[in-house]
Amino acid sequence: MLEETEKATYTIPVGPIHPALKEPVRLALTIDGEEIVDVDVFVGQVHRGIEWLGMNRNNPVQTIYLAERVCGICNICHPLAFVMAVEHAAGITPPPRAEYIRTIAAEMERIHSHLLWAGVAAHEIGFDTIFYLAWRVREEIMDLIEYLTGNRVTKGVVQIGGVRRDVTEEQFPRIRKSLDYYKGLFDQLRKVFLDDRTIRMRTKHVGVLSKEDALKLLAVGPTARASGVTKDIRQDQPYAAYADLDVQAMTPDMLTGTVVGDTYDRIIVRLLEVKQSIAIIEQCLESMPPGPILAQPKMPVLLKTLANAEGEGIGRVEAPRGEVVHYVRLEAGRETLANWRIRAPTYVNLMCVPTMLKGGQIADVPIAFASIDPCQSCANRMVVTDRALGTRSIMDYEEMHRISVQRTEEL
Amino acid sequence: MSLKAFKRALWVYHLNTGSCNGCDIEILAVLTPRYDVERFGIMLVGSPRHADVLLGTGPVVKQMVPRVKRIYEQVPDPKVVMLVGNCGIEGGVFYESYSLAGPFDQVIPVDVYVPGCPPRPEAIIDGVVKAWAKLEKAEQGAR
Amino acid sequence: MELLSPTGVIDSFKAALSDSLLYARLYECEVAVKKNAFRTIWLHVERDAFREAVEHVCELQEYPHLAIISCSDLGQAVELTYHFTIYYGRRFAELSLGLRVDLPKTDLKVPTITDLIPGALFAEREIQEMIGVEVTGIPDSRRLFLPDDFPEGVYPWRTDETGPPADMLRVLPGRQQKQC
Repeated sequence: MLEETEKATYTIPVGPIHPALKEPVRLALTIDGEEIVDVDVFVGQVHRGIEWLGMNRNNPVQTIYLAERVCGICNICHPLAFVMAVEHAAGITPPPRAEYIRTIAAEMERIHSHLLWAGVAAHEIGFDTIFYLAWRVREEIMDLIEYLTGNRVTKGVVQIGGVRRDVTEEQFPRIRKSLDYYKGLFDQLRKVFLDDRTIRMRTKHVGVLSKEDALKLLAVGPTARASGVTKDIRQDQPYAAYADLDVQAMTPDMLTGTVVGDTYDRIIVRLLEVKQSIAIIEQCLESMPPGPILAQPKMPVLLKTLANAEGEGIGRVEAPRGEVVHYVRLEAGRETLANWRIRAPTYVNLMCVPTMLKGGQIADVPIAFASIDPCQSCANRMVVTDRALGTRSIMDYEEMHRISVQRTEEL
Repeated sequence: MSLKAFKRALWVYHLNTGSCNGCDIEILAVLTPRYDVERFGIMLVGSPRHADVLLGTGPVVKQMVPRVKRIYEQVPDPKVVMLVGNCGIEGGVFYESYSLAGPFDQVIPVDVYVPGCPPRPEAIIDGVVKAWAKLEKAEQGAR
Repeated sequence: MELLSPTGVIDSFKAALSDSLLYARLYECEVAVKKNAFRTIWLHVERDAFREAVEHVCELQEYPHLAIISCSDLGQAVELTYHFTIYYGRRFAELSLGLRVDLPKTDLKVPTITDLIPGALFAEREIQEMIGVEVTGIPDSRRLFLPDDFPEGVYPWRTDETGPPADMLRVLPGRQQKQC
């Protein structure tokens, strides 16, 4: 029977209706009625050959600019991981003040990224009001980022051997004002996201990833921590100022007492991390060491040191989405990088998607998929094969989103 | 020219051809209450068949070329194609890669360019206004 | 599971692999104000002992974390480095292990490790298409990032004749192609 019918393909775009994360990736779902039986992931539509460009065209300082544009949302962590790898390869040590400034920038990025995600996730369920609320709240941190670094996105703060801009004492009161704003808001955000009945019903026991699967499939970031795996680079192998601070991996049982590994747990982990980030920035401000911000301020000397350096290094950073790894090898006498390898966290979390979606329903796909916070090469297009029906049709995005919203209304 | 002079609401379809998301989140920021262009009737739609404006971001990755062309054909006339970000205009930082099919105007004709990496929300609004003006002119020309 | 010190880890590899371990190095540097240590271990093993080395990593840590597989073209050989980390989950305890193996270009094969670490699948698929290594026993050998109409036999990360030819590099209008 199955061999006679034609393969049905519902091309359903998965992703928020609003552009931001509507990046192309295809998921091929095999469904039986409404239940998902199998999932296949096709990536590659965002492949721009960045590593090749770094190896063949740029010197390491120009490559920082390129590394920033790997992802527009996790904008500090890619250049930071790259710079850490180059520093390990070339043997350059950044001064302590630069490490603290890097930490502040990284934590501010974490706050902005989690709020962005919160809005998008709410939108997937159909709660546009929360989407607008979360993004309105996010504007405060964007203003702060602009005040400190000069730009909202693509900040250009990190440099090999330190940072390019200083955070001076005069700027501290402004930073504290923004942090107080968020501290006051945290309880309200918590109530809006965690105590809402509909959000609970749509996210509890949806997209479950067990601890064992998370370990086997190498999940990272909040996706792993929500399943009880306490992997957090800021705790395990601290870099920058985290080595001086006491950072703990946030797991859902800190709030609820149990770990289920579903979408609701991932919301909890991200909200807890926002709170943690605020505390980390405050600690950094209090114990900011004085000193220079660059190990080698003169650019020609720096370039010469890098051209003559030989060695390999690895830089691992805890981005809002998980672990970002950059591997760099430098060869003496060569201006471009000898070898450069990037690994973004979504690369790994995507492998967990089939396990999470199996046994679920189509209406749950947008929210379950959005809960891993897909970034580079995120899902957008989805091909659904309906084994029973065997008919081919194209459903456009609105219908997919409508199914998800309808589900909420039915509850 | 005041915005109240525009007679119709502008529906926009966003197309990401491999961008880094920087431009995309600034486009979203334009819709949120801080900059809030929705009060002018500008709305994002999920299907190109309902759209007036095709908003493109990203350098065109080779895999996306047939999709871009198909979507361009699906958007009904009169239409305006708007590009946000340096990548679509001339490749941005990715100009020599092996997996790109060139800037946007090699694939489909473009009307409005908003440069920047990424452009500020104010610049995007400026671009939208220009696109709107062009659309109104095209409509008047057609009548 | 007892946590070995970094030198203890290197010694355990020496004991397990004896002559197949060609090279081992510990890299340490100081971080921030309190000057705590940041450590990485680099190992180079022979191709035939590769599987054994990975199994040894799994003994040191249940479900070791594989970050990525990096690869580079050395002219006569292709070098793969598997970046593992062990002892995660505890403050200051995690160690990065870089396990390097060289494959001669006449015989570009390496055994899969997806039976030990299922999460290695994407990484193995990527090195297959990017540098032309054949991973024997891989459960799914489709292309990952490159489009299906990308020509066979062209590997973007090779610097020899199988690298992308000049006409594939899209130099956008108005720019010069940089000569490297």
